[in-house]
Amino acid sequence: MLMRRVSSLLAVEGAVVAISLAALMLFFGLRSEFFFDGENIRNLLVQSMFVLVVALGMTFVLVAGGIDLSVGAVLGLSAGTTLLVLQHGAPMPVSLLAGLATGATVGLVNGFIVTRLGINDFIVTLATLSIAAGLLQVLTEKEQLIGVDDSAFAYLANGSIVSIPFPVILVAIVAVFLELILHRTSFGRSVFAIGINRQAAHIAGIDVRNVRFAVYALSGLLAGFGGVLLASRLNSVQPGLGGGYELSAIAAAVLGGTSILGGRGSVWRTVVGAMLLGVLSNGLQLLSVDPVWNTIITGTILAVAVALDQAVQQLALRHLRRGADDVPLIPSGRARVGLGQPTHAGTPAHPEVGE
Amino acid sequence: MSTIAFDARRTAVTTLTGPGGGIGVFLVVLSFVAAFAVPGFWEGNNWYNIGNQTVFFLIVALGMTVVLISGGIDLSVGAVLGLCGGVVANLMASGVPMALAFLAAIAVGTGIGLVNGLLITKLRIPDFIATLAMLGVARGVLFVWTNGIPFVDFINEPYYKIGGLQRWFWEITVPMVVAVVLALVVAGMLRYTALGRHLYGVGSNRDAARLSGVNVDRVRIAAYVLSGFLAAVTGILLAGRNATVQPQMGETYEFSAIAAAVMGGAALSGGKGRVLGAVLGALTLIVIQNIIFLANVGPTWERVVTGTIILLAVLVDRLSGIVARRAGTLRRGGAAG
Repeated sequence: MLMRRVSSLLAVEGAVVAISLAALMLFFGLRSEFFFDGENIRNLLVQSMFVLVVALGMTFVLVAGGIDLSVGAVLGLSAGTTLLVLQHGAPMPVSLLAGLATGATVGLVNGFIVTRLGINDFIVTLATLSIAAGLLQVLTEKEQLIGVDDSAFAYLANGSIVSIPFPVILVAIVAVFLELILHRTSFGRSVFAIGINRQAAHIAGIDVRNVRFAVYALSGLLAGFGGVLLASRLNSVQPGLGGGYELSAIAAAVLGGTSILGGRGSVWRTVVGAMLLGVLSNGLQLLSVDPVWNTIITGTILAVAVALDQAVQQLALRHLRRGADDVPLIPSGRARVGLGQPTHAGTPAHPEVGE
Repeated sequence: MSTIAFDARRTAVTTLTGPGGGIGVFLVVLSFVAAFAVPGFWEGNNWYNIGNQTVFFLIVALGMTVVLISGGIDLSVGAVLGLCGGVVANLMASGVPMALAFLAAIAVGTGIGLVNGLLITKLRIPDFIATLAMLGVARGVLFVWTNGIPFVDFINEPYYKIGGLQRWFWEITVPMVVAVVLALVVAGMLRYTALGRHLYGVGSNRDAARLSGVNVDRVRIAAYVLSGFLAAVTGILLAGRNATVQPQMGETYEFSAIAAAVMGGAALSGGKGRVLGAVLGALTLIVIQNIIFLANVGPTWERVVTGTIILLAVLVDRLSGIVARRAGTLRRGGAAG
């Protein structure tokens, strides 16, 4: 009975990645006395928030069967506009709006070109990545963005409430909100439906174009939010800020079991994925591992965590299925998630709808 | 007479409506505009330079096209080509004969491709994560191995020719010939062999392919092995071209290769893409770079302009596809009536 319970727990997708996260934290905790230090944990959490925010938007885009490569550059550009507006003496809320609006605008442009002009999202967002990163370069060349003395603005990413960092609270609220949207609303279900089979979703009466539009806009908005937070944290913006965040965000989402082909993913698992990346980079720093080893270690752990997740799920499911006749199993929805190949493999690959 | 004319028209229509056909149109228009607007574009060695730069992108983009057709993605190619260049440079610097060093590099690249394929098919690691991890490992190994110091002093006289620093004959360099041969071989493989058809089949519907008796895993592994092999070839050529191997060699090649393949009509969802598209995509990317360089855009605006032109390119591709398809239907309708 216990084995069965363990099996059904492990069959939940992402369980192994969550366990890997715990194991990794334990390892770093044993190797360095500073790891579980309150200050380090707070620092680790805050450092992980920027990739996490972007990864949350990425999760929506990936679940809908798309990709958004522009997010890192958009985060950088939004951080730039936030500080720029603040430097010119605008009140703090205006600068926040400016940052969020920058992100949302790029997101809307992405969504418009992808869904209305019907152009491949990879190439569109790669182009807007280039444009956004370039605009940040133009911006920083015109004037130095080295920040301002605004305590309210600084509080955004540096303050804390009962020793919980304020940005963590902000991002946690956003994450819960997004989890509810993705799993409890018809919009969320539409996102999954489109990711699994766009044509079927269209035939089922889902407004495919507008839902996809909204998903890219959301991704841009969240990248803008990340930019505002990072601007507050750093209080200065350099060209190239946010570069590479798109890959970390995708890695976080995929580590959490989100399929790059669409139709699978969840917000909490993306949180686990982002935390794993954050713990890894923090722990390697604490153990003062030579940075040249960083990419090797990170890459290996990424592959091992996901491979373990897949393997253990297979084993647990096999174990569960063996006695499937006598005992009612875990909810079928969960069991189905891990049945080897993703279900969408049987559907035509993203047929273009409405052409 | 009329049949021939009709066939020519139909060929034109199918070429334009085929994946990435409109990129060719854009390339022609861009070159035409650049002829007037950008001094030096049609002069002297410029097209030779463009050709010589395109080939390195192109070989990687060929492998990427095959992987994309099979429904996968390979983010490791840039790091793999850097590592393979490092293998050649290191072996040659320690006196190993050139041919052996090349073989070793090809073995490393192909081996990494095989590992990628096995990780993805047998351990079921998502392709994105597996090849991203491999990117990290391959790049990290090169950094640890070189200690961040570039390999130098390995190059010899014949290697100058192989890398394309010296011409082979007339205006032609070895990498150009290698790229053309590889493009023809890959195109032939995709069009005329069972493996080619299986790649498209696996990419567009994996389950259907499996049910039709295709060994899906083997086909997917073959795609990654080919991609690793082509990355190794690029690494060998590029090491000769640069005459040094920096630990960063090949960085962001994966993005350029994917961009070239996707501009040429490949889709990340699999089942689509062709070699001609990858060639036109790679050429367009290099022509854009070349124009920005010649027009003295300057580093500040460079990325903005690059992004905008890429957007324009895919827009034109999209439009020409629609126009050509419409024209094709009208003609065909007329002929039938």
